[in-house]
Amino acid sequence: MEEKRHTSLHYEVELQEIKNGLIYIGVLTENAIQNAMKSLSERDSEMAHKVIKDDDEIDKLDAEMEERCIRILALRQPTAIDLRFITTAIKVTGHLERIGDMAVNIAEKAIQLNDEPKLKPYIDLPRMTDLVVEMVNNSLDSFIRYDLNIAEKVRQTEQITDDLNEQIFRELLTFMMEDSKCIHRALLIMHVSKNLERIADHAKGIADMVTYMVTGENVRHQTRDISAKEPA
Amino acid sequence: MKKNIFYKIFFSYLVIICLSFFLLDLFVRDEIKNVLTSKVETELFSYAQLLDLNSSVKIAQQLKQIAKISNSRVTLIDARGKVLADSEKESSLMENHLNRPEVQEARLKGMGRSVRFSSTIGIDMLYVAIAIKDGRETTGYIRLARSLHDVQSVIETVYQSFFLAMIIVGITALAIALIFSYSLAAPILAMERFTEKLRQGHPVGTILLETADETKKLADNINYLVDELQSQIRMANEEKSKLMTAFTSMTEGILILNAEDKIEFVNQALSNIFSEQYGDINGKTLMEAFRNADLQKAFLDFKQTRINVFCEITLGNIEPVILSVSISAVHGYPEEEKTMIVFHDVTRLKKLEQIRVDFVANVTHEIRTPLTAIIGYLETIKTGATVNDNDAKRFIDISLKQAQRLNRLLEDLLVISKIELGELQFRFEEVSLRDALEGVIPLVEAKARLKKINIHNDVQENMPYIRADRDRVAQILVNVLDNAVKFTSEAGDVYIEAGQKDNNAVLTITDTGIGISKEEVQRLGERFYRVDRSRSRDLGGTGLGLSIVKHLMIAHGGKMEIESQLGHGTKVSLLFPIHKV
Repeated sequence: MEEKRHTSLHYEVELQEIKNGLIYIGVLTENAIQNAMKSLSERDSEMAHKVIKDDDEIDKLDAEMEERCIRILALRQPTAIDLRFITTAIKVTGHLERIGDMAVNIAEKAIQLNDEPKLKPYIDLPRMTDLVVEMVNNSLDSFIRYDLNIAEKVRQTEQITDDLNEQIFRELLTFMMEDSKCIHRALLIMHVSKNLERIADHAKGIADMVTYMVTGENVRHQTRDISAKEPA
Repeated sequence: MKKNIFYKIFFSYLVIICLSFFLLDLFVRDEIKNVLTSKVETELFSYAQLLDLNSSVKIAQQLKQIAKISNSRVTLIDARGKVLADSEKESSLMENHLNRPEVQEARLKGMGRSVRFSSTIGIDMLYVAIAIKDGRETTGYIRLARSLHDVQSVIETVYQSFFLAMIIVGITALAIALIFSYSLAAPILAMERFTEKLRQGHPVGTILLETADETKKLADNINYLVDELQSQIRMANEEKSKLMTAFTSMTEGILILNAEDKIEFVNQALSNIFSEQYGDINGKTLMEAFRNADLQKAFLDFKQTRINVFCEITLGNIEPVILSVSISAVHGYPEEEKTMIVFHDVTRLKKLEQIRVDFVANVTHEIRTPLTAIIGYLETIKTGATVNDNDAKRFIDISLKQAQRLNRLLEDLLVISKIELGELQFRFEEVSLRDALEGVIPLVEAKARLKKINIHNDVQENMPYIRADRDRVAQILVNVLDNAVKFTSEAGDVYIEAGQKDNNAVLTITDTGIGISKEEVQRLGERFYRVDRSRSRDLGGTGLGLSIVKHLMIAHGGKMEIESQLGHGTKVSLLFPIHKV
């Protein structure tokens, strides 16, 4: 979608700053997810602590971004797509902040897991991580470029992460049934998987907001109906 | 242009001509009229005074003749204004003439004149009257009148000449204006066409004018300016093409941001590195294009101070590229603050640095391990563990074995450093692969027999000769075969086959050993790289074997290829160049 330039150049700059700021937060959260998962797979608790510490930065940026959006709403009183862009930006930054928190959750679990022997080699979790990071990345892309195709792709990938989560859950269940000593670790890993799955949900949330922003049509609850029919 | 100049000149001439005629008319017309009228007046007065010499009766009798001679109308009026006689009308029918201006004037001053429009004839008439005096008393008046028709016709004649002259002057002015405007406009027009062509960017030479006035100087100046301009454009183009060539051919990536911090220019190197991953990044912001927090941070730092910023960023997840980035301001744009970012790919350098660090750490470690063992056993012997001869012998054996390993390690290191320094001398000759193999196999056979490993030598005799150094080929084969036997479990097989591919003889050594995972195959040949550290060292390796093979193969102009599957065995292919007769 070709952007039209606004008559006020400064307004244009402000919108661009919001875009850049969101990508920046996005990149930080992507790094947080990756580093949290790396701390798990490479048993590097130091990195996990760093992820937890770096989340403060994301929280701070989120608050700043929200304030900036509100200022634009108040001063510029945007209309049509600009209005939807700003309101969406506020929601997107909220989603990103939540994703950052999930990464922190994963890092916390990683620290606990690293204190104990490795339960099993991780196969599905790295796959899921890659998918989830790509989803976050793509959802932001779709937001920046007003691109509905990418948003649609994010929605489709979300289903795959759900399935992977399911698969990991079943696998861990067998571990727990075999040996009660590994229940603690298995539960922690399950937590990690669940957090990844919830990150994917947030990415999908962003994608839905993008669809609303571009078309003005609310698709959030349509897709949720479909997923609700499937067994949990 | 030409038209304009012509009209300007012609109309200014025309205005001057018309003005001069108007002034001429204003001043001269009345003057001529006055002069001519006063001449007629004087003449009439003379007649009247002559008439006055005669008596009134005589005048009345000769009135007709007098009128004829004086070419005027003569009227005789008595003192009370009654017309006594008139040369043209019956006097009794005429009204009292005392109130006529000329008569009144004559009554007062002795003579009077007046010009009046005569309604009877339709032209101006000049009336002249004098008083007839008898002593001091006025007895009557003589009035003479003549039409001013002659005066009028003289004036008309003069004016006709005037108009003729005016037309002639006008035509002359037109001609002069034409010629003059053409001569003035032609060079200007030529210069205008010349500059227009220049403006449109057509190649122009110099402008030549045949005039010698100010336009010539102007043309000279234009020529000078054009020369100057063209040489400056040429210089600018030259500079630009130099810069562009430098930009496109250099291996560093270059990116220029415009005043709005959007990407304006990306050079070939950078788009080569990033085209797959990032697509077209022109017109995007740095954040949109690269999505790198470190880069953005560095850029924001730079924006605050506009002082050069250096940083190191890692891009990409699967195959990370490490880039050293320098951000600097582009000078020469005072209004818009452009930014140039130079990316230097240091991935390889970083890797090499890592390998070097690893190497030093490895060498120390590899040397210290046997030394620790030797020192430990020797100390034990010294402190009196020699009570038992058997133990002492065993300790000495172990020490010797470790010392030998140390020796092997140092030899290998020496070989490698010699190869890398290019100090190793090669004696290239034709070598039969089969002969070389037959010389080497017995060396590993003993070890193979211990593990019940069968070595199958399927190399045919008709294999072409290779160009190689006999001793080095033996060294290569020993290393590879030794590895094959070493990493194959009991009762396995080692197959040796030979073939030909392009201009190379290919010797493949396949084992049914433990195999190597895909990621680790790439790292084989790195010094001290061991797939399984503890195990390999147990087997007495130095960690340099394959590294030596790799380097020797390169020195031979061939190469080593390894394919492997974890748990299924490894296939090492050695490609030797065939000896040309």
